Amino acid sequence: MPDKQEVRIDVSDGAAIPRKRDIGLFSAWWISLIGALGCIAYLCLAKPEPYLDILKFLPDGILVTFEVTILSILLALFLGLITGLGRISKNRTINLIASTYVEVVRGIPLLVQLFYIYFALGQVFSNLPNPADVAESMAAWPGIIVYVVVGVVGFLKDMPPLVAAVTAMGVCYGAYMGEVFRAGIESIDKGQTEAARSLGFNRRQTMFLVILPQAWRTILPPVGNEFIALLKDSSLVSILAVADLLRRGREFASVTFSYFEAYTMVALIYLVITLILSKGVSAMETRLNYYVRD
Amino acid sequence: MKKLLLSLVCVLMLASVAQAKTLVFASDCTWPPMEMTDANKQCVGFGPDLVMAIAKAGGFKAEIKNTAWDGIFAGLPMGKYDAISSSVSITDERKKSMDFSDPYFEVKQGVVVKEGAAIKAEADLKGKAVGAQIGTTGFFAAKRIVGDAAKSYDEVGLAIADLANGRLDAVICDDAVAADYALTNPEYSKTLALAFLIVPEKPEYLGFAVKKGNKDALELINKGLKAVKASGEYDKIFKKWFGSN
Repeated sequence: MPDKQEVRIDVSDGAAIPRKRDIGLFSAWWISLIGALGCIAYLCLAKPEPYLDILKFLPDGILVTFEVTILSILLALFLGLITGLGRISKNRTINLIASTYVEVVRGIPLLVQLFYIYFALGQVFSNLPNPADVAESMAAWPGIIVYVVVGVVGFLKDMPPLVAAVTAMGVCYGAYMGEVFRAGIESIDKGQTEAARSLGFNRRQTMFLVILPQAWRTILPPVGNEFIALLKDSSLVSILAVADLLRRGREFASVTFSYFEAYTMVALIYLVITLILSKGVSAMETRLNYYVRD
Repeated sequence: MKKLLLSLVCVLMLASVAQAKTLVFASDCTWPPMEMTDANKQCVGFGPDLVMAIAKAGGFKAEIKNTAWDGIFAGLPMGKYDAISSSVSITDERKKSMDFSDPYFEVKQGVVVKEGAAIKAEADLKGKAVGAQIGTTGFFAAKRIVGDAAKSYDEVGLAIADLANGRLDAVICDDAVAADYALTNPEYSKTLALAFLIVPEKPEYLGFAVKKGNKDALELINKGLKAVKASGEYDKIFKKWFGSN
């Protein structure tokens, strides 16, 4: 048995995760958080108009930002798991499909993907036939298939904006997440698989009962990091008229022309949210003994 | 030698003063047929034509600078351009932070819907998905009618695309623009319709916006506008873009 392997997946586009030694009041994290909260409080007290008005205008945007982020990360986790398993699959076809998905998605900017799924595919879907007509033309088919096809056509035809936005974000981050899962799974020592297989586990049981539960420890921190990155990138959906934090800020500024004030508040609120989340991720790391070294 | 140089500099300075003043106009060229981008990436439409005519009549040079709508007002106090010619409605709110020329066009807010939709009046819009371009009087109208559910887009074209794709029930924009999409646009005129015009509390006019206190630019523009209207040039441009109606 070789020495315990040190594995660390570094995904750098999330917020900086505080290191363990950065404790105490004078860490960069505390300075940023107290600074940001202090700025918000000071501005709202010293100049309630417009700062307090802006703060009151934004909360539903913050909710939408979280809604988009959480739904997208759930979709991304699902796609990521499938992709990660596909990438290490010995089946050549599955492997190729998963790898191609990652290549294609990673090669297209997220903003372009958003436009593509929302406006380009939206136009294609809106030209689909009416669900009722589809049901009629498929009268000869078995009931269950008709039901599924009509359901899918109806859903695609009237895809709500939020779903389109979440789909775009989820598909994009699913590719990144696939890499995280792949690296996480590959980080588990081969001996684990060999041991499980020789104990009579089949390949699926080995993956889901032995490998993945251990891989979680390596996977979770980068997933948390991706979550933060996704939350920041979710500001891109404001281009699709989804009323998130940035869009609400822009709406306020477009009426009052207080661009400085509105975007200052939007920036500070994003900062506070990501700072708190990054602390959460680092706490999770600590709990998972991520950095424990013997 | 020194004297020669000095006199040369003086002559040059005088020459530049004597030269026609150039005013830079910011236009968001995504608002057909008022301001739009043609196949040669030039900003064309009723607005640019009018600006050029005004410049000619007012004795100054005009330059159109294509500028994104969201933030177009922010560039005015920064001095990025001298004026905004972008179908800007004169509102009391805007008058607080900028000055306006004499009005050059009257608009109403038009409601574009899908062909055959059961939206005939303002009351029918309640609870519907209504979109408009951010920071336009169309968006303010949408907000007044459906509240926070009103959806703001970066460009009216994106809102129209969402309407055509079935994600919106209505789009509110200037009547000229609404008519262009619903009646003459080859892509949309078959599927979209102009449902009705919102009756305004008081008439809504478009004006050229300048930085607050910029009397020189305002004077030049107003003088030119008056001349263009008097000479019949205005009617010619109007006819070119809006036909006989």
